[in-house]
This record gives sequence, structure tokens and C-alpha cells, in this order.
Amino acid sequence: MAEPLQKKLQAELEKYQQLQKELGRAVAARQKLETQLTENNIVQEELQLLDESNCIFRLLGPVLLRQELRQAREHVGKRLQYIGGELKRYEQQELQARP
Amino acid sequence: MAAPGGGASPLSPALVGRLRREHEKVVTGCQEKIQHWKKVESDYEALQERLQTLPDKLSYDVMVPFGPLAFMPGKLVHTNEITVLLGDNWFSKCSAKQAIELVEHRKKHVRKALDDLQKVMKNFESRAEFTEDLQKMSDAAGEYVDIREEIEDDSIETKGKYRTAHRPHSKPKVSNVFEVDLPANGNDTKAMGRFQSEEELWARLEELERQEEILGELDRMPDTVETNGEDATSSEEEKENEDKDTDVNGTCRAEDCITQGNFHKEFGNSDLFVGHMNGSTYYHSDDEDERDVGDNSVPTIFFSHTVEPKRVRINTGKNTTLKFSEKKEEAKRKRKNSSGNGHAAPELPNIKTPADIYRVFVDVVNGEYVPRKSILKSRSRENSVCSDTSENSAAEFDDRRGVQRSISCDEATQSDNSEGFLEEEEGEGKQQLPKKLPPSSGTTEAFSGTVIEKEPLSPSSVPHPVLAHPVLPTILERKSEELLSDAPEEPTKRISKFRAARMQQTQ
Repeated sequence: MAEPLQKKLQAELEKYQQLQKELGRAVAARQKLETQLTENNIVQEELQLLDESNCIFRLLGPVLLRQELRQAREHVGKRLQYIGGELKRYEQQELQARP
Repeated sequence: MAAPGGGASPLSPALVGRLRREHEKVVTGCQEKIQHWKKVESDYEALQERLQTLPDKLSYDVMVPFGPLAFMPGKLVHTNEITVLLGDNWFSKCSAKQAIELVEHRKKHVRKALDDLQKVMKNFESRAEFTEDLQKMSDAAGEYVDIREEIEDDSIETKGKYRTAHRPHSKPKVSNVFEVDLPANGNDTKAMGRFQSEEELWARLEELERQEEILGELDRMPDTVETNGEDATSSEEEKENEDKDTDVNGTCRAEDCITQGNFHKEFGNSDLFVGHMNGSTYYHSDDEDERDVGDNSVPTIFFSHTVEPKRVRINTGKNTTLKFSEKKEEAKRKRKNSSGNGHAAPELPNIKTPADIYRVFVDVVNGEYVPRKSILKSRSRENSVCSDTSENSAAEFDDRRGVQRSISCDEATQSDNSEGFLEEEEGEGKQQLPKKLPPSSGTTEAFSGTVIEKEPLSPSSVPHPVLAHPVLPTILERKSEELLSDAPEEPTKRISKFRAARMQQTQ
């Protein structure tokens, strides 16, 4: 009599723990994304301040790769959009996991 | 949680203490962050300084760090080329000045973060103070006492006036009127019966509305009712109730003989009420007057006026004046007394469009309509005592004025004063006024057509042209003033202004 009840309880508990983990993950990811968002925003603003005369580099591994200003700006803009989309996705996940 | 310290359970000291601790945690956290950001800001400022001095020399002799423990003498070259990390693995080569600009831009962000943190900290500090007070309250239970009051009466759910949903087919105007005790209940149960009689009231209302429509008196009632609804004084509520009743009574007067005592009293109150709008000075006297008169067996409504100022002549521009004559008031009174089943209450003009306003607010001159002048013009002084005039001259003056007005009618555009307004005119004045008009002379007046005097809505007060609603009574009163002789009350005859003019000319 007690056994199936216990099993049920355990199953529920596991589900709950799963949900909590998901929630934790979603929240952490969201925070990371938010910092990235602010950072990319700053980069975009600073790129606006620069002009063609400055060489722009991208660090990929141990290498600094030369980029053009135009390219750099586009790239950063796309990255911002991507981050925004990811944020929304994680927000939805969070909402699901919360209740 | 046990509550060792007295006080209500939500104020238990343990809980309050915990709340306070949490608050303090947040505050300290904020303070740490603020410290961090301040350090960042000072770093940036040092950097800016360095960047400013760096391009001064082409190269510097420096001791270059070699690993964690060693240094090597070296030179710092290309002093103006600075590779700046923009963030997210992006670099850019800039000159020193550009680098300074970038640093400035970053400092802006830092300052913003600092400001936000400061705000949060202040917020939580105040919260912490509050919880401290709360703790004191619950501990001491002597210095401060939390005043709690249990609300027991659930019946009162609305503040002030009632807000009941409009019945689907009830008129919005009428729905503003509040609880009214049916006359059968008498005046005693007014205050108490409010809540219960609502349902009955609605049913009765609808029934009476139908009756009103039949009688064609619906137009004049809602205005009074509406005005009733607008005043918010508590003393008015009772009167409003009675007003409603009165309206109801008035409309079904022909069919339903309700207790006359109530009737008269209620109507007196409605007079009172309307009079109240016009001027509270006449409030009491009206009441008294009304009650004295209302002892007839036949339900009739008598209006009585307070002591009116003597007849005055007021300059209303265009060399015309309006009179406010006691004689006319008396005449009106006499007329009313003699009338048996006159109008229960004067008809209110049915104003549905702005044009109606022009239609309604016309002056009654002897046998003619004159559009009302703006109250801002000198004519508005008609209510004030400008001068005393004798009765004789006043009569002549009226005639003259009427003449002048009849003349100008043809010339001026009278789109506003279309035939519509004639609806409210009564026939009584019409008969006398055209007779008195001599043939037209040459002055221009704005109006042509017959002005028919109408029973005043509420003769209880001095006309106040300033107020919207009192204007109605004032117009009517003035119309009554201008009536020079007694006339039997008759049902309203409608004639077009052109016909009226023709009649004048033929007479």
C-alpha cells in the first residue's frame, strides 16, 4: 500500500527536480545572454565612434584577423539579433518551467 | 512561527526580523557593487590620463615585465597606436585621442550603472528602516500601535451614489436618478427604502416613461431629472428622490391622483431643488411659499416667487432693455392660481442638437422671438438691479422693443431661430403680444416671428444666466415678465414664425 504511493511520490519529486534544473539552466543562460547583449551593444556604439582609418581585428583563437569596419558593424548587428532571439527562447522556457 | 512578542501574527518579531535581515543583505550587496563600479571608474580615469600623456614622446624607456618575476629594459614605441579591445573579441587600432573618446564612452556606462545601484540602495535602505519600525511596534506595542479596523458592513459597496448598471432599455438620463420611494410609501421611509425599492423603482420608472411619452411630456422631465442627478450634495439626494417622484407624478398626473400632500410637498422640493441650482438664497422662501399654497384638493402645482427686485430696465444693447417686473410675476402667479389643470411643470425644451440651443434660448419679446445675446454682453446684467422704472414706461418700452425686433427679423439671417423653437411656446402669450405690436418701423432686429410666452419652469429664483440649467428657468421667467397681461392658459399652439409675422402684420 505504501509502496506505490512512495513510488508515485518519488516520481513526482524527480519531475519537480527536473523542472527546477531546467529553470536554473534557463535562468543562467538568460543571464549570460544578457551580459553578451550589453557587451555587443557597447561594441556597436564604439564601432560607430571609429572610422575607416582604424584597423579592426577579430580574435579567433590565437589569431587576430583583420576586418573592415563595414563588415564588423554588420557582424555585430547580426550577433545582436541572434542574442535577442535566444533570449526570447530562454524566456519562454523559463515560463514553462516556472509553474 | 511562534510569536513571543505580542502584536498581530503578521507582525511577529521573528518574521519582521527576518525581513529586516533580507533587506540588509540587499543593501550590503548594493554597496559592494557600488564599490566595484567606483573602482572601475577610477581605473578608467587613470587610463585616460595615461593616454593623454603617452603621445608626448615617440618612445619611452621602460622596464618590461618578463613573466611574473622578471623585468627587462625595453622601449615603448608607436606611442600613438593603441589597440583597443571593444568587447566580444573585437579589437581596433586607434590613435590615443580616439582611445580617449572610447574610454569616455565606457565611463558613461559605468556611471549609469552606479546611479542605478545607488537608487536601489536608497530604496532598500528606506525599506529596512520601515521594517525596523515595524519591529519596534511589535516588540514594544506601546509606542506605536498599528491601527486596524475591521470592516463589518459589507452591504455598502459603492461610495457615494449608487452605481447600478443601466437597464438595457432604460434611458441613460433617467438612470442617474437614485432611489425613490414610491409616493404610496410616503415621505417617511425615504431614507430607508432606498435600497429595497430599487427594483420597484425601475419597474415604475419604465411604466411611467411610457406614460410620459404618451402625454408628450417626456421632454421636459429628463432635464430636471438630469439636473437633479448632477448635484452631489447629500441633502439633495432626498430631494432628488422626491424630484423623481415628482416627475413621475407630474407625468401621470392626469391619470394618477397621488396623495396630494406628498405631491405638493415633493413638487415643492423639486422647486426647491431647481431653485437651489439657481440660487440658494431663494431656497427657503420658495419652500415656504410652496407649502402654503399646496393645500388644494386638485393636484396642482403652484409656483411662488420670493420677493423679486423691482422692475428694472437693463440695457441689453441695441437700445433695448429687458425688464424684470414684479407686476409680471404677480400676473403670472395669478394666472397659475386660476389655472386648473395647467401644466404640471413647465416643459423643458428638448435639446438634442446644438441648433436646439439657439432655438430654445430666445428671449420672449412682445410677440416676437429674439435670439439670446451672449451673457458676456451687457445684456447679462438684466438680472441685476440697474435702474428702477415705472410701470407705465416699461409697458411702452416693451412694445417698442417688440416692434424693433419684429422689424429686424426680415433682414437678419435666422437660421438658428427656425420654426423649431416654436414648439415650446405657449399660445397664451401669443394672443396678447401680436395685438400690442404696432406696425413695423425701421430698426433692424434679429428676429421675426411670434414669441410666445411659456410657463416658467421654476419661477422661484432670480434668473442666473451664468448657469446652464438655471438658464432655462430664467428664460422662461423673462418670458413671463414680458407678458403684459393675464392670459388664460392654453395648450401650446404651434405656428411658424412666418405665419406669426403675417399675423402680426395683419393685426
